[in-house]
Amino acid sequence: MEVTATFILNLVYVSATLALVALGLAMVFGLLGVMNMAHGEFVMLGAYSVYVVQLAGQHFLWSIPLAILVCAAVGWLVEWSVIRHLYSRPFDTLLATWGVAILIRKGTEVIFTRDYKSVNQIMPGTVDIFGVSYPAYRLVLVALIILLFVLLYAWYQRSKAGLKIKAMVQGPELASAVGIDKAQLSRATFIIGVSSAGLAGVLLAPLVRVEPYIGLDYLMSSFFILVVGGLGTLEGLLIGSTVIGGTDALISTVFDKTAGYMSVLLISILFLWLRPDGIFYRR
Amino acid sequence: MRRREFIKSSLTVAALTALAQTGISRAVAASKLKVGVMIPLSGPAALFGPSSKNVAQMAAEKINAGGGILGRKIEILFGDAGLPPAEAAQTALRMWRGNGCEAFVGMHNSAVRGAYNNVFKGQVPYVYCPNYEGGECAKGVYYVGETPAQSVVPTMKWLAGEKKLKKFYLIGNDYNWPRDTNVIAKKTIAELGGSVVGEEYMPFTVDNFDSSLAKIKETGADMVLITLVGGASVTFNRAFASFGLSEKVMRLGTLIDENTLLGIGAENSKNIFSAASYFANVQTKEAKDFAQKYAKKFGKKAPVLNALSGSAYDGLIALDTIAERAGSLSTKKMDAVAEGTEWDSPRGRAKMANRHLTLDIYLAEAIGANFKIVKTFPQQNPGNFCKA
Repeated sequence: MEVTATFILNLVYVSATLALVALGLAMVFGLLGVMNMAHGEFVMLGAYSVYVVQLAGQHFLWSIPLAILVCAAVGWLVEWSVIRHLYSRPFDTLLATWGVAILIRKGTEVIFTRDYKSVNQIMPGTVDIFGVSYPAYRLVLVALIILLFVLLYAWYQRSKAGLKIKAMVQGPELASAVGIDKAQLSRATFIIGVSSAGLAGVLLAPLVRVEPYIGLDYLMSSFFILVVGGLGTLEGLLIGSTVIGGTDALISTVFDKTAGYMSVLLISILFLWLRPDGIFYRR
Repeated sequence: MRRREFIKSSLTVAALTALAQTGISRAVAASKLKVGVMIPLSGPAALFGPSSKNVAQMAAEKINAGGGILGRKIEILFGDAGLPPAEAAQTALRMWRGNGCEAFVGMHNSAVRGAYNNVFKGQVPYVYCPNYEGGECAKGVYYVGETPAQSVVPTMKWLAGEKKLKKFYLIGNDYNWPRDTNVIAKKTIAELGGSVVGEEYMPFTVDNFDSSLAKIKETGADMVLITLVGGASVTFNRAFASFGLSEKVMRLGTLIDENTLLGIGAENSKNIFSAASYFANVQTKEAKDFAQKYAKKFGKKAPVLNALSGSAYDGLIALDTIAERAGSLSTKKMDAVAEGTEWDSPRGRAKMANRHLTLDIYLAEAIGANFKIVKTFPQQNPGNFCKA
């Protein structure tokens, strides 16, 4: 019983955090067609924001605005200098953003060195839930992520900005014709996408290692999720995260971690081969 | 694949030897003695590079202040050992045949050591620095790192007795160092009358240890032997503590250095023990002097000293001591006199036995983000791997 409860809690936690990490990549790729290889680096910038705020002796919550500010500024710069020239050339965006990723990584290395940074635990200790003592911060994190997704969903479905984005994605020419400023909207979408990656970095920082190279891990798992879930819908993102996180957790528990990781790779290959558009795909 | 690599490397050797004959390597004959120091400057282990680089410079200054090796001042050339083994080997070959390095000191993983052995083939002295799985005795290679017989066996026995530990869980990354270390650990556990309740090897890319932690909890393990490396160790230990496991379950590692501990963080470090032949705050006079000199030379913000940089420093001292004793840099002569060579270093008294070192081993307990030495195991025997 306790084992099952732990397993289910772990599954929910893994799916939620994966979805949060992949959100920004899904937005940028799904809506703008830009494969942002620097996605993980924005997660990393978010994690370093926590470290900087901690160095300055300020409260953890200050790292949220700082991360969003930093990621938005870097995102704006990247969009303005590189991405906007490449919107209709997906492969070129992939190469260009890979270069940006290296630049951000090395830049961080220059400022903070390669060393691991010690980020203080937020809300250490465990909470008893369903007969299991589970890390308190993880539970709060899951609740926050669910709230974020509900708000995001409502905003995308109801707001005028959401409508404009949909118009831009579904019919770029028509959207311009009715007076939607495509350049500005694309820039805003990109900035929001990378800022959400930064937010993910802040929230995960107390749980993971913090060093300049962590971005690569997040890029990989986000990519697998998009392969399975498909592009352009929140449902797909959530299902992709659950499938990837769930398979990994289940196989790892029954066999071992190597088998778990291999199954994730296998599923991604199968999807790319048999259902290249993922489970959910809407044009 | 093998054949192709063989052809490739033979061609390179041929090309480089031809190049060497044109005079590049002869030009250095009577001048400074170039020593190739191979440390990870890139890749995941690059984290360990900077402090080793610093101490190598310190060691060189010390050796030169004492007149150099065999009357020749030494000059250090750094080579990147953080590359894949085949590429790292090419770099070493270039430094040896091209740049005229006459001796090598390496602080890198076992895969790269294997590749270097294939390049050097005992023709040039090569000191291998970090702790490793043991089991080798190649010609012209001097191993100054701890073997599991030194670091794992005594510390595990002592901890098991002290804390009444019975159930052991082994977790490491998936390559030869963790696997070979655990073979020895399992023997020790059997001798102790304990049981191994789990043994797991993780791919390097793993950043979620939930399933392992659930197993550790379920099996009721009272000690986890950790042979995870770097970032994996940090993430594992953070998650371990967040599940409240650190209160009851001991953790022991032989590669949890000062830097890894910093990443793990003060709140997550309860009941972490680390075994090594050097820690930054070993309190012997020699170690204190060394740490002070390091801080003075490189500043307070310099990369932290750890077991790996301690070994790297000793690597150069070993080269100096053995070469002086042999009166030559010929590996044949050095091999002949290596046995029994002794010296003092920040790590303590070191004595060469079967091409490895008899060393003092320290068991340190994490107190917050620092290590405190709780027990010293004097002059541990590395084991003998030189039998035919």
